[in-house]
Formats: sequence, structure tokens, C-alpha cells
Amino acid sequence: MNGTNVQLQAPKHKPKSFNWRKGFIHLFPIPALAVFTLFIVYPILAAFSYSLFDWQGLRKGAFLGIGNFVTLFTKEPFNTYFWNSLAHNAYYFVLEMIFQNGIAFVLAYIIFSKVKGAELFKMAYFLPRLLSVIVVGFLWKLMLNPNFGAVNVFLKQIGLEQWARPWLGEPVTALTAIILANCWFGIGFAVLILLAGLHSISQEVLEAARLDGVKGFRLIRSIILPMMMQSVVIITVFTFVQAFEAFELVYAMQGSQGEPVHSTDTLAVFFYRTAFGSSSGDGTAIGLGSALAVTLFFIIASLSAVFMALMKKKDIE
Amino acid sequence: MKHVSLVLAAILAASLAGCSSSNTPAATTAPKDNKGEASTQPQQKVKLTMGSWRTEDKDAYEKIIKEYQKKNPNVEIEFKPTKNTEYNTVLNTALQTGSGPDIIQLRPYAAGIALADAGYLEPLDSVKGLSVMSKDTLAAATGKDGKIYGVPTVFSSTQIFYNKKLFKKFNIEEPKTWDDLIKAADTLKQNKVTPFAFGSKEGWILSLTHGALGPGFYGANDFVSKITSGQTNFKDKAFVDSIQMMQGLTKYFPDNYVGISMDDMRNLFVTEQAGMMVMGDWELAVMKKMNPALEMDVFPVPAPAGGKATVTTWVDGSFSVNKASKNKAEAMKFIEFMTTKDFGQLVANELMKPSTIPGVEAADPIVTKISKFANSISTPYMFVVHFSSGNPTTKVTLETALQGMYLNKQTPQDVVEEVQKSADTWFKPAGK
Repeated sequence: MNGTNVQLQAPKHKPKSFNWRKGFIHLFPIPALAVFTLFIVYPILAAFSYSLFDWQGLRKGAFLGIGNFVTLFTKEPFNTYFWNSLAHNAYYFVLEMIFQNGIAFVLAYIIFSKVKGAELFKMAYFLPRLLSVIVVGFLWKLMLNPNFGAVNVFLKQIGLEQWARPWLGEPVTALTAIILANCWFGIGFAVLILLAGLHSISQEVLEAARLDGVKGFRLIRSIILPMMMQSVVIITVFTFVQAFEAFELVYAMQGSQGEPVHSTDTLAVFFYRTAFGSSSGDGTAIGLGSALAVTLFFIIASLSAVFMALMKKKDIE
Repeated sequence: MKHVSLVLAAILAASLAGCSSSNTPAATTAPKDNKGEASTQPQQKVKLTMGSWRTEDKDAYEKIIKEYQKKNPNVEIEFKPTKNTEYNTVLNTALQTGSGPDIIQLRPYAAGIALADAGYLEPLDSVKGLSVMSKDTLAAATGKDGKIYGVPTVFSSTQIFYNKKLFKKFNIEEPKTWDDLIKAADTLKQNKVTPFAFGSKEGWILSLTHGALGPGFYGANDFVSKITSGQTNFKDKAFVDSIQMMQGLTKYFPDNYVGISMDDMRNLFVTEQAGMMVMGDWELAVMKKMNPALEMDVFPVPAPAGGKATVTTWVDGSFSVNKASKNKAEAMKFIEFMTTKDFGQLVANELMKPSTIPGVEAADPIVTKISKFANSISTPYMFVVHFSSGNPTTKVTLETALQGMYLNKQTPQDVVEEVQKSADTWFKPAGK
């Protein structure tokens, strides 16, 4: 006992065989690591291995190699579904960047400029986020109802009757309507992140810029945005991942087929119905579904990495 | 990674061992303090479990089980439903590890038959009561080997619901021919009532409506037996006609029907804004709850030019016995009970659904009427019974194509081409 004590109190630079205390510390992450491995690493690797096999229902069949991937990219209707969904995911991302994050920045900037009741606004914008996505989907389905929904009723009241339409029933408007509902849902979170970024800019810099006569848009473009790049990167990556994983709202509002005629289909919805089939229990294709999941994983992981790298480079400049 | 999988395997093995030990039958721990009577009448109860996806039917089945126990006090049956969307996964996993409920509610047709073909189920050849059911009905649970593996209990049936008050107000009789039906729709439209509560936003409504209205045009059972034996295909003029008929009905649909979903359809009908609705029997209970004052009734779908009226049915699920069950004899006895008129009666009253047993009178006159049609003038829901395979299924292909047709993106001819293309990827006619 005494011996170890002496060793522990020994000065740092003194060479020793093994520092038990330091070694012991490395054991502490094990529980967390185990959970991480079991629930994150293992499923990813499992999905990867599943994608290489043929499946009959839940039974693993023959080894196919990249067969499922070949099917996914070359066989009708899967290849059409894939590119169609991918395009929708990209559209989802662009629209969210413009509407959700664009408006969120304006709101965050207004709050940052010390309006009265800033705290109240912050809370109000965040409120939708507290609802379950399924509830949000249900609410917007009601609002967008073609015959008695609030949106069409409002348009009729203000004399824009010709604008009223079955928003969720027409392929041209359905996806946009869902994305805008999602913007409404996600805007509070974006405001919080961007506001944190604004607060991280030191007051002296802003003061100095103002004294130099930098004002308005110039101030935002040349001083504020570059200095809050961290937050912009975070919200961009978040939005990107969210847009490419978009599932709940589409499923809640348009079902597992991305109706009408696949106009609201996304990769995750396509994955869901491919892997698990419809509720009547038919048409499950675990192998093909896993191949799609693996592809989705690589799309998200690689593009997120590219984003981070690009933004970091800009940040340093 | 090898270590992780080893650890996982160990955990799995441990949990499986746990499962199987809890599944050992109560019989092994027979009580020893039974006095003299013990030898003739064993006191221990046999415990059976019943797996199902119908969480909403729990109360009804518990009532039915209670009735059964009155005559069979030695068994205890627990109805243990799993969430609809998770049932298949849970059941498949359990069966693969040699466990699972003693009595299994089987999904109808292909999905359930797959379990029989995989050897998880006990054949029910010894169940005498099955003889009252038609071959079409039993097909829902007949394996590839020709043996029957499940007792179909209730039908789902589609017909036309109508508002009695509105029909009376505008002097409309229950239509007997297709022309009558169109005339009725015209009359309703002239009086500013939506003839059909219908919407094309949800695909399943489209195949369901086609399944109900189509048979009169494609020739009901004759066409079904021809297409399943390979004598014809979907490009048959009769089938194209049935799709064209669907397109021709648009003027009788509500405004903005492309954006209308099931909830909106139901609302239109129960708030008396629409006169008719092509719908399944299961909506009866829901609509009654929403508007108890609604005076509604049903009629079978009339056929054009001399054809016979039909309702479209499919088996909603059947009950089977787990091959790995430790109490097969008792489970079989319950299965036998499910083929009796007593059971049919209970089902009709508790679930408010048409029983597969002919001649059952339900307390609700509409249920009785639907049961009567389902057991006499029915035609199978072709896309559920015969064309629900493929990935995506041929049924889903029809739905998406019809949706495209209602959005003016596709012609009836395109719809037919797509459906046939989907069927070609997997369907092999019975005779070939």
C-alpha cells in the first residue's frame, strides 16, 4: 500500500514502469463506449453486412456481394425511386437553408439587437419544436386541407381564391408544403444556434466596426457572418443531415409511398418501405433496404465531411 | 469486432435461455396437494397465449375467451396483441427461436402462408368445422402443400354505404343496376350533395374502390379464375374498361378530391355532405361513433348490363396453431371452437365484422346484411388475394398508377400497362 502511495506522489518527470492511476482512468469510458458500440457501431456494421446478402423475409439467404447495390442502381423501379428521392432530399436541403435558416438568421439578428421582450420571442420561436413531429404533421394536414383547411379559407377570404388548391394532393406543391411545415417546426432551433453565434462575437470588434462607419448589410457580411462561422457550420451540417434523413413529416402527411405518385418521396421513406414493406406485411427486402441505408450513410457522412472542411478553410481565411 | 460479436452472442444466448425457461408449461409444476379428486380431474389450468396484431380488438377477444372458458374451465387463454406494424417482426423472431404464442393470428394470404410453408404451423386437417367454409375463404391460409393451416374468422368486405335520409329526400331507391347507380349520383349532384365521398390522396383508397366497383366491369369471379390460370392478363379489354369506369366517375367526386384523404371522406359522409361512400365494413363502427344519429345502410355494388351485384371480400386474418406449442391439444380445441356458429355469433357482435361462418345473425342489422352478402354474392379482392406480391407489390403499383390517372398524368391504358409490367416480374399463372 505504502509503495503505491510513494509512487503516486512521485514528481512527474521521474521515469516509472506504469502509472496505475493514469491507466485506470482509461477504463472509465468503457461503459459509454460499450453502449456506443452496441447501439451505433454494431448496427452500422450489421447493416453493411446485411446489404451483402439475399433475404427471404427475416431469413438470411445467399451471399450476393454487391448484388443489392447493383439492383438498387440499375433495376426499375428502384433506380428511378433512388434518383427521384435524392433530388427531393437535395431540394429539401436548399429550401430549408433559404427559408428556415435564412429567416432564423433575420430573427436571431433582431433579437440580438436587443428588442424588448427578446426572451419571450426566443421562447415563442422555439415552441413548435416541443411538439411531436407526428402532431406537427397532423396539424399541418388540417391546415392544408383543400376544403376546410385554414390556408385555403384564408386565401378565399382575402380574395385570392384562384390560389387555393389541394396543396398536399398535387405533386407540384406537396413537397414544398411539407418542407415549409418543417421550416416552421425547425426555425426555433436554428434561431438558438445562430443567436449563440452572435453572442460569441466580442463587443469590442462590433464597436470598432461601428466607429469605422461600417453599417447595415456590410456589417453583417464582412464582420458578423465571418465571426460566427462556427454556428453557421453547425446549423448547415444539422440542416443537411436532417434534410437527407427527412422521414417523419413525409410519413405522417403522405404515407410510406411518398404520395401523390412519389412526389414527396425521400431516401428515408424509400428505405422504410423497401426494408419493412407496408403494414400488410408484404414486400420486405431487408438486403435491398440495407444497401440503401448504407448508401444513405455514405452520402451523409461524406458530404458532411466536405461541408466541415470547406467551412473550416473559410474560417481560417 | 470479433469480441463484440462474441459478447453479443453470449447476451443473446442468455436471453434466449431466459425465454425458453419461462415458457415451460405449467404442467410440470403440478400441485401435489390435490386430494382424492386429483386423479380424475386435474386442477391445474392449461395456459395458452394468443398472438395477434389487433390491439384494438383486445376487449372483444377477452369477452370471447371468457365465453369459451365457461364451458372449458381448465384452460386460461391470454390474448396478447403486438402493435400492427411490429407484429410480423416480433412473431418471425419468436418462431425462429422455437417460441412464440400457442395460437397465432395469421396475416391473410401470402404473408401468413409463408409461415406455414416454412414449417412453423400445425396443419389443421383434423378440424372438422372447417368444412362450412368455402375454398376461396380457406385459401387465405392454405399452404403450398394443399393443407389448411388456419381458421379464417372474419371477412373484410367492401360495399356501398349510403345515407338513407338523403336517398329518401330525393326519392332515390337502392340502385339495382349500374345505370340506377349513375342516376342516383346524378340526382344527388343536381341537389348539391356530393354523390361519392371519395379522395385520391391515399393510394389504398384507390385499389379498394377499384376492388369494389371494378368486378362488374371485368367480370368478377370468371375473370379472377381466368387471370390466375393464365388465360388472360390485365391488358384484357374488360379490365381496361374497369379502369376507364374509375376515370369516368370523377364528376361525382367532391371538390379537390386529389387532396382528400380517408379522414376527409369519412367527414363528408357522416356530416351528410355526401350521399354514398364505397367503403369497407370496418368503418361502420367508427362512423356510428362519430354520428350516432346518422341513418345509413349498405347495398352491394350493382353491375352493368345484366351482371350480378357483388360485394368484394377478403379474409382479414386466420388463427393457427404453433407447431412448437407445448399445449397443442388444448390449442386445437380452441381452434375447433372458432369454427362453430357460437363463435361466429360472438365475433359478429363483439367485433362488428362479418363472420366467415354462414348464417350468423348479428345484433346490428347492417352487420347481418354485410355478413349475408359476404357469404353469398362475394368476389375476392383480387389485388389483395392474388396480386399482393412483388416489390413494390402489384397492388401498390395499381394504386400509384391510378393516383397518376386522377392527376391527369396517366391514361387508363398506361395504368394497365404498368400493372401488367409489375405482375410480369413475379406472377406465375397456376396452370403453367
